[in-house]
Amino acid sequence: MITFKLNGKTVQGEEGQYILQVAQKYGVEIPTLCHHKALEPAGMCRLCTVELFDGRRSRFVTSCNYPIWEGMEVKTDSEPVHQGRKLIVELLMARCPDVPILKELGKKYGITETRFKKEEDTCILCGLCTRICTKMGNSAISLTGRGVDMKVDTPFHIQTDVCMACGACASVCPTGHITLEKIRSSVTKNSFKLIPSEYDMGLKGRKPVYVPYAQAVPNTPVIDRSVCMHFKTGGCKVCTEFCGVNAIDHTMQDEVVELNVGSIILSPGYQPFDPSKFDSYGYSKHPNVITAMEMERILSASGPTAGHLVRPSDHKEPKKIAWFQCVGSRDMNKCDHAYCSSVCCMYAIKEAVIAKEHSGSDLDCAIFYMDMRTHGKDFERFYNTAKDKHGVRFIRSRVHTIEPVPGTDDLSIRYITESGESVVEKFDQIVLSVGMEISPEVVGMAKNLGIELTPGNFCKTTTFEPVATSRPGIYVCGAFQGPKDIPQSVIDSSAAASAAGEILAEARNTLTRAKEIIPETNVIGERPRIGVFVCRCGINIAGVVNVPSVAEYAATLPYVEYATDNLYSCSQDTQENMAQIIKREGLNRVVVAACTPKTHEPLFQETLTNAGLNKYLFEMANIRNHDSWVHKNNPDLATQKAKDLIRSAVYKVALTMPLAEAELQIKSSALVVGGGIAGMTAARSLSLQGYETHIVEKSSNLGGQARNLYRTAKGEDIQQQLDILIQDVNQDDKIHVHLNAELVQMDGFVGSFKSTLNSAGQEIVVEHGVAVLATGASAYQPTEYHYGEDSRIVTSLELDKKFMEKDSSLSSLQSAVFIQCVGSREPDRPYCSRVCCTHSIDNALALKEMNPGMNIYLLYRDIRTYGEREYLFKEAREKGIIFIRYSMDKKPEVSLSNGKLSVKIMDHILGTPLEIETDLITLATAIVPNRDEKLANFFKVPMNSDGFFVERHAKLGPSEFATDGVFLCGMAHYPKPIDESIVQGKAAASRAVTLLARKTIHTSGNVAEVVPATCSSCGVCVSICPYSAPSFVEETARFNPGKAQINPVLCKGCGLCVASCRSGAIRLKGFDNDQIFAQITALNEAM
Amino acid sequence: MSEREPKIVSFLCNWCSYGAADLAGVGRMEYPPNIRVIRIPCTGRMSPKFFLAALAQGADGVWVSG
Repeated sequence: MITFKLNGKTVQGEEGQYILQVAQKYGVEIPTLCHHKALEPAGMCRLCTVELFDGRRSRFVTSCNYPIWEGMEVKTDSEPVHQGRKLIVELLMARCPDVPILKELGKKYGITETRFKKEEDTCILCGLCTRICTKMGNSAISLTGRGVDMKVDTPFHIQTDVCMACGACASVCPTGHITLEKIRSSVTKNSFKLIPSEYDMGLKGRKPVYVPYAQAVPNTPVIDRSVCMHFKTGGCKVCTEFCGVNAIDHTMQDEVVELNVGSIILSPGYQPFDPSKFDSYGYSKHPNVITAMEMERILSASGPTAGHLVRPSDHKEPKKIAWFQCVGSRDMNKCDHAYCSSVCCMYAIKEAVIAKEHSGSDLDCAIFYMDMRTHGKDFERFYNTAKDKHGVRFIRSRVHTIEPVPGTDDLSIRYITESGESVVEKFDQIVLSVGMEISPEVVGMAKNLGIELTPGNFCKTTTFEPVATSRPGIYVCGAFQGPKDIPQSVIDSSAAASAAGEILAEARNTLTRAKEIIPETNVIGERPRIGVFVCRCGINIAGVVNVPSVAEYAATLPYVEYATDNLYSCSQDTQENMAQIIKREGLNRVVVAACTPKTHEPLFQETLTNAGLNKYLFEMANIRNHDSWVHKNNPDLATQKAKDLIRSAVYKVALTMPLAEAELQIKSSALVVGGGIAGMTAARSLSLQGYETHIVEKSSNLGGQARNLYRTAKGEDIQQQLDILIQDVNQDDKIHVHLNAELVQMDGFVGSFKSTLNSAGQEIVVEHGVAVLATGASAYQPTEYHYGEDSRIVTSLELDKKFMEKDSSLSSLQSAVFIQCVGSREPDRPYCSRVCCTHSIDNALALKEMNPGMNIYLLYRDIRTYGEREYLFKEAREKGIIFIRYSMDKKPEVSLSNGKLSVKIMDHILGTPLEIETDLITLATAIVPNRDEKLANFFKVPMNSDGFFVERHAKLGPSEFATDGVFLCGMAHYPKPIDESIVQGKAAASRAVTLLARKTIHTSGNVAEVVPATCSSCGVCVSICPYSAPSFVEETARFNPGKAQINPVLCKGCGLCVASCRSGAIRLKGFDNDQIFAQITALNEAM
Repeated sequence: MSEREPKIVSFLCNWCSYGAADLAGVGRMEYPPNIRVIRIPCTGRMSPKFFLAALAQGADGVWVSG
């Protein structure tokens, strides 16, 4: 260590350090132009000149490259230094009069006009560019010439191959003399390319060292070896100079890791279709033809334009946008993707609505489509709202070509309307709704693993084992299984986990280790002894906030016994150190001023636990996300804010008390309501994973709606498979089936439910830890189309029955008509029943198989054979089944006269009315939920206006309820085909197992508590709580009869009851009134 | 800052706005440093007394978000 004086203050530096480095460490500012942390100093610009007193005399040295020595005295801002720098700036200003950074410096040194002769240069010959070029391992440029002829140049003044167009010189040039543009045009023969950001779909560039996106897990930067200069030349490594913790290791190699596993789950996903190959759409030619994925980024607040809707070519706000559906889907001509990608209709509508929200309602949005496929839960409503409320135009037309409008960046298209007119329309921007495809890498992986694929390259599965690949033990989920949206992928993933869990049940918990439990110190009655740990977070906080001064300040706050700062509070060694300090200093409350409690509170709480403190004696002050990161240009005020936030946290933590978390035993059994295919699948999955399961079925047999179905869209025999499943369930020792049974009473909560069943007149009490609701749905009984008046008018299920009974009359039919959307997509039932298009087409094909000469007509509104079901639609058309579209206002008319059955419909192509004489009319009736209000009340689960249960989260929690311990599957959630019911049955089981496998759960300590003495029994808390946590103590109870009480297991700690309590009788532990008031009071100094 | 800036006390819901403020940081967005955040478990916890207390302590504005 070398000690010397800096501006009269004693400072210390290490042997070999330069004056500038030590000054920067002590926060002493010295101006520089040619200095760069990662480069050897050169002393070129002389701006960092300081005054050095060596004991005998004063002289001037450049601080950037003058090594420190014991006993020296340095003055960085004396008058002679100031004068000297002023002259340097003035000379540089004469050389480069128009350089902004020099003008800025001139202002700082009080120079209005240079006294010297002005030149027109922009280069100050600092040499940063040549030094960084050498550092990059290239030396493509150097300082050439001498004296006044000196300049930065390439060898022999000619364009060079050596330059790799990395742009490092431009990035360090302080004056703007070197720009990326200049490198491209004069220096290099290599092409200069932006590194496209994958996350922003190439609409923005990114660096070779980058965090893939803001929410990436782990949120750690990675180095892209394909573009990093170090991996090209062996040079650079500038990043290592900036990393404070030496985390960067360029020598790391890819490792081959061998894992022994019992099962593999494939979830490799899909890639968006690349529309470049469609010449007629000119995606690669016209900048304003973009893909829907690019549109997603443009609309995103975190996207390249921060959510401001502008078109790529000229950054003008578009006034007219068109979406083209089925680009790369349902298309055999250009891309060989005959399947429907399932998600594009919905995302196009969503983008159109969001675009209108961003740009105002005068934005014209038009969606060009073939069939609008909004078959998901609540999707049809969204479609109707987009059309009726937002005014999105829906045009049923497949557009052939996009033409540029000469002289503008606009685009022109010609399309045929439904009435047959040819229309030319101009748009500012066109979005191609690209479909999903499986990448060649994934196809290769499937080959290596030896699993079979479908014609569309998706993973081949069966209807009854929808997450099992063709190879035992390997499961699949997500879009690799088939094109699907987020909810369906989430359901899939849970199901795949369940499937793996079923075969690995015996191995569960065999690799777990018990955690050492440290006894808790009793701090009650002790005076608060608060420790404050202020985190520097590398430079994330310390780069803006003056951390040492904040820690110093924290030490002065009431009850604070200890305050310090850490480089990284969350690192393993700091954690251990903190635990030591807590014990050593006898601290009983802790404040960590660092990042956000949302990500790091549990970590620091564990440190407290390890130090023997109750984890609730803790508070965080968010001085990174809420301070240094958002006020980087305001270090003083940011420092002040950090102090305020810490003061507020200290005031609060002083009032915290140790809180207890109730431990709750989970009964290792489940109750499944509903013995249909979904319920049975859930029960079977739970039992295979080792849990006793009760099935409550209201009818006299298992099977549910599947009993009425003939065959699956993949041609499998449903009854045969169903019988196998029923047999499995009946023979399973762990599954108890209660037929003719009904739930008559239900008490309890997650982990310990108690249900009373009435099974064929007998009362049975079942205790269970979780419940799965699989109450299904049934077919709508139509009143329209003369149903019930003639035996030739049947529903889809009745036709299935005929097939199952091998009704010979079917093969002798001359003509058959299917009418779709009977009861679905109507004002009374504004949802799509999802299965009927596929069902009717498959039945039509079954009729064709029996009698290829039969005339079959299918009357529809939109054909919704999503995913690879589309192949059936194609096959049906090829086999001569005639598809005729009708609209809501011109529904088909069925007439019965003199024993003649006929259907009248307006043909959508010919535009003329048709009359079809037929022998059979099949009505594809809606799926109607079994509205079971009683059940909903028992489990306190909500139902939507259609009567389907409402899941915890439409996208991320589709198979569970907001009520803990209650799960959902099958058609009670939404109409769905058998494979999707099975998947969700398994998914519900999987979600349930996440609870059951824990055996016990800990409630949160931050729960509400009633003070009975002040409770007036008004009941506001009981009625207001969304989680049903408060209740009244029974009137006959010995203590506090009639007063409110709160079940800590059900309480989510929201505080709604606390705020609503008229008597002030409820406290929220951890967010008590006195604590929040203390926080508010603590802020008064900031006001 | 030459002009006097109004001081704002904000009560942010742990589940949405507090997280949003965290994300604003992650995105390195900038906003004036005259705001002090108090984290609450849910805006349901908000009591009129908290507004009054903040104003009484000298806040120029109170912002509740959730």
